[in-house]
Amino acid sequence: MRVLLAAFEKGWAHPDGLGEASSQARHLLNSAREEIAAALEVTPGEVEFWGEPALISPMAILGAPNFSHGNFVAGATERQDILAMGARAHSMSIIPVSHEGLIDRDLFLEAIESNSTVALQAANGETGVRQDLADLSALTGSLNAQLHLDYSAAGPLVKLPAYWSTADFPAKSWDGPSGLGIMLIHRDHRWVNPLTSAIARRSPGSYSLPLVLAAAASLTGWIDDSKKESERIRTLVALMRTVIKQTIADVDIAGSGAVNQSLPHILSISFLNVSGEELVSRLAREGFAVASGSACIASAIEPSHVLKAMGVLTHGNIRISLLHGVQESEVKRLLALLPGIIEKLRSESGL
Amino acid sequence: MREIDCLGALCPTPIIQLGKAIKDIAAGEVIILKADDPATESDLHAWARMTGNNVISLAEHTYKIIKN
Repeated sequence: MRVLLAAFEKGWAHPDGLGEASSQARHLLNSAREEIAAALEVTPGEVEFWGEPALISPMAILGAPNFSHGNFVAGATERQDILAMGARAHSMSIIPVSHEGLIDRDLFLEAIESNSTVALQAANGETGVRQDLADLSALTGSLNAQLHLDYSAAGPLVKLPAYWSTADFPAKSWDGPSGLGIMLIHRDHRWVNPLTSAIARRSPGSYSLPLVLAAAASLTGWIDDSKKESERIRTLVALMRTVIKQTIADVDIAGSGAVNQSLPHILSISFLNVSGEELVSRLAREGFAVASGSACIASAIEPSHVLKAMGVLTHGNIRISLLHGVQESEVKRLLALLPGIIEKLRSESGL
Repeated sequence: MREIDCLGALCPTPIIQLGKAIKDIAAGEVIILKADDPATESDLHAWARMTGNNVISLAEHTYKIIKN
């Protein structure tokens, strides 16, 4: 919050304007761009700021050369808004994933042509499953297809592979401010703004400079924090996987949890014969805020397409995300409460 | 052969009804489940994997479950 307030004090002027305040704003913008570029290991010229983070992936994909007359290739667990881009392509291949959530490599390779646009997620936001980006991006590059990478769940936890064309990094992915995202455009990529009225611009330019400054200021600290916290949090998630399997019958856990195949902080579990909505509600009463991929919650109509694609049970699902600073005592409290809650819910349904 | 009609019922009711019914039948016996909740088909296959039983889709919203 302090960072954000300072950013609003310093960055109020328009960087394109005349005068000292604008000159200072320009300097601050350039410094922020350099700081973010260094942290993400790209060049400053590859960094574009967007004030509408939700539009970054769709626009990056739409602006890929050949998108509209090539085959669009995406994994079955990609974000719904990315999968929806297939309707605008010449053709689309949705690549199935294994029970562990990993893209079928052979089918992936079969689907790509030189004029293809490929969309891959560095990691899935619901399950934490990480794709083998090094391998899949190399395959894409070997065929000279365009590759868009979705980093909305992984953020800076996962490095960019050697080959990429565009990438989507919302500032929220490093606990930065909402309402700001980064579109990375590789210097060798011929991205064209699909909005013909803005064809010469690489971003709408409607981002908030104070949010850019706050995002840059928070990024390096978050990366340093992650280096210390990731291993500790991963150990807590591994503890949850083990204890839940030992203490509760009939559970389905999404993803293998292997270090190179998972984000450290996300755990998605489904409990057979339990309503996801009831479970979320009972946990909220105990002070735990969790999300759910089930259709049996008030805000959902369909079950999670991610869990379906993996063949994981979709009902009775909760998604736990551990934040930096989470206390081991809280994790243990959850583990102590869960068996009783599940038993009660199952018995209330007559099982 | 037992038939369970869960048309119109929302998840997890179809799976819960199946779970109750399957306790009362012997190995090799069959239950026909009718359910149109969008989670049913996918969850039936997950349920079969988790419980060691078999599921076959017969028609839209109609499933044959064979107890192992």
